[in-house]
Amino acid sequence: MALAVLDRYAEVPWEDKERLFEEIKADPRFADYLYGCYECGICVAACPSARFYDFSPRRIAQALAREDVALVYEQIQDDIWECSQCFSCLRCPRKNNPGGLVTIMRETAVRNGLRSAKQALEGYSRIIYKIMSTGTQVSPDMIRADAFPDWGPTAQETGDNLEVWRKALPPETLHTTSMSWDVDPKTLTELYLIWHLTGVMDMIKEIDEGLHMILLDVMEEKLEDAGYPVS
Amino acid sequence: MPISLPVVQSAPAPRGRVFTRSAPDPAEDVREKVLELEARGEWIVPRVPGPWVDVTTKYGRTKKIPLQHTWHHKSCGQCGHIPGYSTAIFWLHRTLGLDYTDPRDQTSCTAWNYYASATSNAAAQAAVALRNFAAAHETGYFPQIHCGTSYGHYKEVRAELVHHPELRARVRDIMAKLGKPMVMPEEIVHYSEWVYAVRDRLAARRIHDLSDITVTVHPACHYYKLVQEDAIYDPDIYGGQRTAVVSAVAHTLGARVADYSTWFDCCGFGFRHILVQRDFTRSFAVQRKIETMKEEANPDVTLTHDTGCVTTLDKSQFAPRAHGKTASIPVMSEAQFAALAMGAHPYRVCQLHWHAADYRPLLEKMGIDWRERWREFEDDCERIKKGEKAFLTWEDVDA
Amino acid sequence: MPSDAVLILGGGPAGLEAARSVADLGGRAILVEQRDTLGGTPDAAQYAALTHGMRPAEEAIGELVGAVTGHPGVEVRLRSGLIGFGGGAGDFTATLATPEGERQVQAGAVIVATGFQHFDPGRETQMYGYYEFEDVITLVDAERMLKTGTFVTPSTGQAPERVCFIQCVGSRDRQIGNEYCSKVCCGISSKQAIEIRQLVPRAKVFIFYIDMRMYGYWENELYWPAQEQHKVQYIRGIVTEILRKGDRLLIRGEDTTMGRPMEVLMDVVILAVGMEPSAGTRTVARLLGVRQNKYGFIEVPHGSLVPVATSAPGIFVAGAAAGPADLNDSMSMAGAAALRAVAAIRRATAR
Repeated sequence: MALAVLDRYAEVPWEDKERLFEEIKADPRFADYLYGCYECGICVAACPSARFYDFSPRRIAQALAREDVALVYEQIQDDIWECSQCFSCLRCPRKNNPGGLVTIMRETAVRNGLRSAKQALEGYSRIIYKIMSTGTQVSPDMIRADAFPDWGPTAQETGDNLEVWRKALPPETLHTTSMSWDVDPKTLTELYLIWHLTGVMDMIKEIDEGLHMILLDVMEEKLEDAGYPVS
Repeated sequence: MPISLPVVQSAPAPRGRVFTRSAPDPAEDVREKVLELEARGEWIVPRVPGPWVDVTTKYGRTKKIPLQHTWHHKSCGQCGHIPGYSTAIFWLHRTLGLDYTDPRDQTSCTAWNYYASATSNAAAQAAVALRNFAAAHETGYFPQIHCGTSYGHYKEVRAELVHHPELRARVRDIMAKLGKPMVMPEEIVHYSEWVYAVRDRLAARRIHDLSDITVTVHPACHYYKLVQEDAIYDPDIYGGQRTAVVSAVAHTLGARVADYSTWFDCCGFGFRHILVQRDFTRSFAVQRKIETMKEEANPDVTLTHDTGCVTTLDKSQFAPRAHGKTASIPVMSEAQFAALAMGAHPYRVCQLHWHAADYRPLLEKMGIDWRERWREFEDDCERIKKGEKAFLTWEDVDA
Repeated sequence: MPSDAVLILGGGPAGLEAARSVADLGGRAILVEQRDTLGGTPDAAQYAALTHGMRPAEEAIGELVGAVTGHPGVEVRLRSGLIGFGGGAGDFTATLATPEGERQVQAGAVIVATGFQHFDPGRETQMYGYYEFEDVITLVDAERMLKTGTFVTPSTGQAPERVCFIQCVGSRDRQIGNEYCSKVCCGISSKQAIEIRQLVPRAKVFIFYIDMRMYGYWENELYWPAQEQHKVQYIRGIVTEILRKGDRLLIRGEDTTMGRPMEVLMDVVILAVGMEPSAGTRTVARLLGVRQNKYGFIEVPHGSLVPVATSAPGIFVAGAAAGPADLNDSMSMAGAAALRAVAAIRRATAR
């Protein structure tokens, strides 16, 4: 039973919450990331997200250590996307890894297609597309004033001069605009195979069906050409 | 306009206090486990090629840093948005005559996406890492990793693979399907560790006087907080109490390294935040880091050694002006800074035109005629536009 | 050849009390000490007031030393140390390095009282800057200052306005490997906090802690007086970083009671460093062939009802050589070890 007096997700069936909790616990890395916690607060003191959001790596570790299924469910819905994954919390004297626990919780959220995960990743899908399909997370052609107006006038200048500026780079691999460097097509095929074989494509399907279809289109042909039957 | 504030120097070390490590050190050395697995035939462990430099890590262990014959594992954010950073790293190698290869058979570590969105999993991340290591091994060159996050993430992956046989088995299956061997290098080396290892050679080729330049250093979280025992610590730098990379380089080049009270703070990159929740990133970067540095140290430049940190600190300074926050400090990697000090072209090599915060006062203070250099670069661009040149080349830069 | 002497290694409180007890029982003690005076760590580190009843350490230790010096039942060897060892219970041979050269002594039993050393804050997981900032000091540095009857900000020599203690430095930490609690630091910090409040009435004093270890009567003798009479502020949350800000120190932690990060300026930060086995303890353990626990302290067999036993018959341990101990522990163990040592020798002689 929930230890908390207030249960923000009272209407969600207990079995759903428990299933997510068990999935988190079953991750092979869980035992490496969570030992005991004596609530010293070092993790919160070091955490940048704790200063900006109502986020606490200590509460993440505590909720899991206490096996508070309802509280963990709240956190997986409301809190985990605030973590900035800096791993300053690895200063923990017990060697807990709250940032790592957040990673496991996020993977669980994504795998299960939780709406809060989809919401958090809204606006992020073109980045997923870029990394999955080109093997580089960002590309030069993403620097445009309409995409990064808050970066200042250089965004505009860069966007206007992109083609020439990219050619004005001595390293031969950097004359690209749609990916960060010139990735070999064979390398991309290997990357696509990794996404398929590790279940990442299934995770993407849960989060964004449209994105999933586009990626599948891009990848499937290359994979079959290279002799890796995908279906 | 730079504000004239007294520069606060770190106080001299307390009298009579010198730290010497006396007790046995606790953390397991995962590199020993890596070699044990090699002995059991589980993977190939390419050794660091000679000549290498021995450096000291947090608990006094030795780490080998290869000087040459390196396979450059590039950083997507770096090559994509701040390509002067990558170019400067290559330029430093070329200037010192140390050979390297810049591969096309390389994917990003994909950790930016992993930490941002978790649309991946431990097996995929490990497979991406090992695929890159195998690709390096196939060339016979040893990986040198450009990004702090790639470096930290790969160390994380190394520990997971060492401790989880079932993960290793999964990755072995995948590598088999790719037709690639299982490879885990003897050391995981970050480029800033290489810069640290050659800092004396860089200083010997310095042509600009930096004694009047104040530098603040921002150490990257993923370099020294992830798998802490593997980061470089040096008794000559902060008494061995803070990670030494970047600070040691700035110091050896003759610049003044100033301390500030948020030294250990993250820059606020946030992986996903800098793209889709930017108020967090820029608030943090400007209020916790830039303003504090400005107030307490008034530096001419802030140096860091990671893609995300350069991006965050550099690009976050503009928007807060809408709130009357005008603190401005130029941001670059120590590689670009060292290159400038050694006479590298600020545009052809350091590609400072991709940077947002105004770096021109720094160049002027260093005695670099940026107007003339910019004219030269604009001429290069004209020639490219007209089709007279396809690309700028290394030969153009050496001229 | 069987001997009726008890060899006691270490001339700190535990060793002194053991030697006095052995002699009191009519036995013969050989007390070996590597320094040139008796008194152990409280003397070497210049402790001011003992946590126990706030009695001046010099006076209390002086009493222990006085009970042994000149006592016909105790042979004191200063500037000496163990370099070789052999034999079995009742019949040990020890080789000592002494100012007069190597000496062999026979002993029927041995008591290890080689004590502890203070944790070196340079190995601390958190960023405390002990080797960077003069105003970050340890309990030992503070104690030395308090002994002179003053307490000032080291870098300025002025009276501080804000002083804080950080508990558990080098203890309870899996990253360093010292996963135990050093037992005495909460008491010592509270004691020093009271002393500082008395010496510098305008100073605000804080203690940042994870748990307050106030065993038994420490609760009513130290903890409540510190809070209620002397207005020492106990804040639950450990500091993770200390940096310089202007001319003061900035400390960063979480105020866990209030559930939010905190950054506060301090003039002086006192690190409550824990106990580790001394170099002497490690050396002696190796030479005697007694088992050490995973932290390097002399191992008392688990679950034993003899808190002074070691893994070797005839060899006993007293005081902090076996693990974190306060003065009471050391005195009690010393008596018990002396008793068992003398009894063992007499049983062997009677046969």
